[in-house]
Amino acid sequence: MTTSTFQTRPRLTPALTAAGALLATLAIAAALLALGGYSPGEAFAALLRGAFGSWDRFVSFTLVRATPLLLTGLAVAFAFKARVWNIGAEGQLHAGALAAVAVAVALPGTPGLVLIPATLLAAAMAGALWASVPAAMKTGMGVGEVITTLLMNFVALFAAQFLVQGPLRESRGVFNQTDEIPAAAHLPDLVPGTRLHIGFLIGILIAVAMWLYLTRTPGGFRLRAVGASPRAAEVSGRFRARPVVWLAFLASGAIAGLAGGVQIAGITHRMYEGLSPGWGYTAIAVALLARLNPLAVVVTAIVFGALSAGGGAMQRDAGVPEVWVRGIEALVILAVLTVDRSWQALAGRGSRG
Amino acid sequence: MNTRSGNREGQGGSESRAAAACLRNVTRRFGPVTALEGVSFDLVPGEIHGLLGENGAGKTTLARILGGLLPPDEGRVEIGGRAVALRSARDARALGVAMVHQHFSLVPRFTGFENIALFNGGAWTAKGMAAPGYRDRVEARARELKLEVELDVPVARLGVGARQRIEILKALMSETGVLLLDEPTAVLAPREVDGLFAVLREVAGVGTGIVLVAHKLDEVLAAADRVTVLRRGRWVMTEAAASVSTGELAEAMVGGGVGAVAGKPPAAGADPAAATGKHAARKVASLHGVTVTRDGEPALRDVTVEVLRGEVLGIAGVDGNGQRELARVLAGIRTPHQGEAALPAEVGWIPQDRGHEGLVNDFTISENVAFALHGKDTFRKGPWLDWTRIEETAADLVREMDVRATSPAATAATLSGGNQQKVVTGREFLRGADLLVAESPTRGLDVKATVAVRSRLAALAREGDRPPGVVLISADLDEILELSDRIAVMVRGRLIPVPRDAHNPRDIGELMLAARGQAHQDDDPRGSARPATGSGPPPGGDHR
Repeated sequence: MTTSTFQTRPRLTPALTAAGALLATLAIAAALLALGGYSPGEAFAALLRGAFGSWDRFVSFTLVRATPLLLTGLAVAFAFKARVWNIGAEGQLHAGALAAVAVAVALPGTPGLVLIPATLLAAAMAGALWASVPAAMKTGMGVGEVITTLLMNFVALFAAQFLVQGPLRESRGVFNQTDEIPAAAHLPDLVPGTRLHIGFLIGILIAVAMWLYLTRTPGGFRLRAVGASPRAAEVSGRFRARPVVWLAFLASGAIAGLAGGVQIAGITHRMYEGLSPGWGYTAIAVALLARLNPLAVVVTAIVFGALSAGGGAMQRDAGVPEVWVRGIEALVILAVLTVDRSWQALAGRGSRG
Repeated sequence: MNTRSGNREGQGGSESRAAAACLRNVTRRFGPVTALEGVSFDLVPGEIHGLLGENGAGKTTLARILGGLLPPDEGRVEIGGRAVALRSARDARALGVAMVHQHFSLVPRFTGFENIALFNGGAWTAKGMAAPGYRDRVEARARELKLEVELDVPVARLGVGARQRIEILKALMSETGVLLLDEPTAVLAPREVDGLFAVLREVAGVGTGIVLVAHKLDEVLAAADRVTVLRRGRWVMTEAAASVSTGELAEAMVGGGVGAVAGKPPAAGADPAAATGKHAARKVASLHGVTVTRDGEPALRDVTVEVLRGEVLGIAGVDGNGQRELARVLAGIRTPHQGEAALPAEVGWIPQDRGHEGLVNDFTISENVAFALHGKDTFRKGPWLDWTRIEETAADLVREMDVRATSPAATAATLSGGNQQKVVTGREFLRGADLLVAESPTRGLDVKATVAVRSRLAALAREGDRPPGVVLISADLDEILELSDRIAVMVRGRLIPVPRDAHNPRDIGELMLAARGQAHQDDDPRGSARPATGSGPPPGGDHR
């Protein structure tokens, strides 16, 4: 593999953007907290303690919560890179989670070495299948994917609700949840003595593979070209945009579906209503904050994982309701978009002579 | 040196009238690139001031600063004798500065009149209708300026010349002291250029100062009262057009010592008699009875043509007569609706719309070059792209084509139009294909770049063991005549071969224009029923 100086953009800019966005968010959040009668310093200190206060807080909480965000964030970043606006990671995640449970529960007694790959593969395929509907509508009929992927989320959520209340309800029939998957299907721990499972490692491997694909392979080059200008791709590159768009949909859906499977096999071990607190949507912020760079998604997913892990501590120690954390997440998204625009305005003033 | 002289010029020199607009010691940088350095420029009311320079010389930057689209980093802008700080095109507009861009800014679905009314916001009533009487004012203004405009046809259906007239009328509907035109002739056929200059004469006649950014020397000399030459962002000279020659201007633009500018590169030396031998063996591509429809209407009609190895086949014609579809069929990205196309596996293609099709603006030069290389085994290492090798190739291309860029890692968006075209041209050569389609390859390029691109094309077709066949599609007759072994004219989707004894501008021009008039009668039954302002019939050949 070549290590060249070649990059699509000046290197510092994305990092600066993200840092600027986070700083702006902190400033605004501090002001709002103060207005709400809380001590911003105390709240942030509690948040940081909750997220990074100890090795176990960091690994068992921050990294565990970062895992689904990492996978869905990568899913979103890959699609966005091809200018496929997949807002449907949430639905694809649910499809993946359901498929994972169905396969794992259906194969009791299978050794883990077979069952775990089968479970995760089923999850990825279900996610891809879920994404294939908007993909077909976009490539076949030109239906915008923003609305179709979004609406498919509701279909997935209600389908999951229906299944855990009915056909897939646990055999003892107490709660609206599925049976627990066999122990052989549980993901092994990544760090012994903590709750962190190998799902996080899978996320990192996918991030590295995605980065290599996008920057170093002909296929990744074509995908970025289609994302930058489908017409130029066709005229200058002499390749069709359509297969590339399909690939973006399917790969994105598969990774989001995998996020669902990993969460089932790694943490919850069963499916229930409200499995995801909206990871598929937060994933958009994760991907945008990372400027769609897969390696940066690892960092931004941990940032959002830390917000999630620290939110509880903030409520407990500083008396700040956890809902504030959701507000801070929203602020991050707004700040990223704003800072991004400003950067473009600064850096991109047309320079024709 | 230029600063001192520039000041003299800026202070009015021999001119006694107040300047309509002027720049004083203006500097503008884009990152590491200095587009303008200490340039002064003045525009007198009622004059046509030609602004000349090579790609990247700073012509467009200067016009954009005057038009309020770019603030200068240093220096002063004065409009009507007062120093002003222009923050936007709107500011400039309020001071009577109007700009007609290289790429038009019209709403395609709106008619000419709607576009004019839309732009001149005051023309609207609360209900979103053009104010009563505005129509009369538009027509009166068009008559006053002797502008032939079609006000009731969606501009998407007008040719570039007709759109440009709408654009000019749009700009001139309110009080305008300064009119900026960025490369207005680049998109026009020869006859339309004359028409444009006649219009500009009228506009200047009512006291408007006109800045004409252009690259064709003889055109500028014919149209302008004074000319200013920029070179690499610096002021070189300002002279009365009557007192300079094309040669002097060319030398000022390129910095002397470039003999190629004065004359054409060696004309096509191929011997037609030899060319007919071994015909079949030399055939690299052929179309037979090809018909392509676009939006339900035939864009190519029964086109049959062969392209031979080592020849340049020139296809002349006014834009919008099917050239675009012909290029796409030859490039293999459009399948004919009828007929057959026999094409080589790979085709080099310099597309006309380099900004949107030839390049990805956000990609670096290397990445844009990679479009031609990413499928080739020699630029791969196993599953990986060999970026080191691609970058080396791109760096070679930048050097050989004399692309003015900080490095191959610069994005295409930071290049001037001519430099972008050099990148596209060089890249398409890299494909090493048996067929090269060049669509208006020198449009918008300056003298030096034009000479460079043309001589590359000529050399490509004649040198080496297996030269490709080149199809040169251009509205520029000089270019066609200079480079082509065979010539055909594209008229309303048909390809008409031009006999060798008619290879001269007059005969080919007549073929193009005669066919235009005829086409007008055949295909435009609306004819004179349309309320066209000004005198004479609407320019029918402009219809797409």
